Amino acid sequence: MEASVELALCRRLLMMADDELILGHRNSEWAGHAPILEEDIAFANIAQDEMGHAAIWYRILSDITGDSADKLVFFRDATAYRNCQLVELPKGDWAMTIVRQYLFDSFELVRTSLLFDSQYGPLAEAAGKIRPEELYHYRHTSNWIKRLGLGTQESNVRTQRALEYLWPFTKQLFILFDEEEPSVNAGLFPESSIIEIKWLDIVKPFLRESGLKAPDINQLIEVDRVEHTPHLDVLLNEMQEVARLDPNAQW
Amino acid sequence: MGDTQWPRYEVFGQDKEGNPHRNVGSVHAVDPEMALQNARDVFVRRPQTTSIWVVPAANILSKTQQEISEYLDLKSHIDQENKKTETYLVFQKLSQRPSMTFVVHTGQVEASSAFDALKKSVELFGEKETYVWWICPERTVYESIDDDIESMFSQAHDKKYRMPQDYRLTLEMMELKKGKR
Repeated sequence: MEASVELALCRRLLMMADDELILGHRNSEWAGHAPILEEDIAFANIAQDEMGHAAIWYRILSDITGDSADKLVFFRDATAYRNCQLVELPKGDWAMTIVRQYLFDSFELVRTSLLFDSQYGPLAEAAGKIRPEELYHYRHTSNWIKRLGLGTQESNVRTQRALEYLWPFTKQLFILFDEEEPSVNAGLFPESSIIEIKWLDIVKPFLRESGLKAPDINQLIEVDRVEHTPHLDVLLNEMQEVARLDPNAQW
Repeated sequence: MGDTQWPRYEVFGQDKEGNPHRNVGSVHAVDPEMALQNARDVFVRRPQTTSIWVVPAANILSKTQQEISEYLDLKSHIDQENKKTETYLVFQKLSQRPSMTFVVHTGQVEASSAFDALKKSVELFGEKETYVWWICPERTVYESIDDDIESMFSQAHDKKYRMPQDYRLTLEMMELKKGKR
């Protein structure tokens, strides 16, 4: 594989893995705190799924670069993480969690479907494995969006508020490092603008059907994935605390 | 102060195609779709499941072995004529073994009411010793479809870390104690 293509591939793998890891961590924060017992378990399941997906992407990356997942997860600082800001934001109230999960689940569903056609075998194979789980995640969150949006006045207000706060962060899902082109041209990854169009085609009508309105486009946050909010530092402090106590420990 | 919980749904799981559905527990939910998803999240953490049913607990007529003869006698004078019949599903608890789940789906009857269905079930299926009878109208069952198997159930197979057998903690602890590690 050409050097520029491999570089682009590795960067995108790291982004996907970091997204899943950080989102999985946020999901797991509901354990013991969800509004009902069944959702406590549901989110624990979803968190496990996301961690599983992260592990898959880290492993494919490790096969190329040799960096172990443990090293990447527990011993990188926030500045080296390449997740989008959307997933590092605090879980907020139930509406905030559901809206954030919906925006990301719908994105993942679109991207996974397009990754089936990747010319890089491990990617296509992984996409095939992950898709059934993504289907379930989407079913779960989209149902909640509908119930919250069309529920009571309070549920609608909170969900609309969450949507207005989170929508600007979605633009970052479709922006990448400068070196995207080699991986797209080599047929490894779908083009971000295509993912974005398909995503908007699903999300906008669905939100409307659910009694919600996506905000205007001119409030979007367009930053490189190198930049993070202070929330990521707090999250990593907690997540990496035990591992960093004894970096040479055998687990 | 009333009960603020959402309605309860009983959950029935089928562990292999061809096997009868068994009651595995219940979930609270606002509607059947949420009940189905909750049932999957709560009860299908470990393999193996090919299908789940959820039924609102309010639609289930339940009688124990001790209650049944008194119940059937009590209503025996009620006129059942001129009522439309529909299909009722029959579930029985046939074993007291602790490992057995609660009731298992044993068949169905055509009846004009839950009482009528229970009466007919006892006649048709009552030769086996039955500790509990459950009856519900077939129309109140909300079920997973074949297309759901991959996204709802199959993935549990890969998650071996949910199985107790995947952890060898006991052996390792014993070795630690003996100073072998």
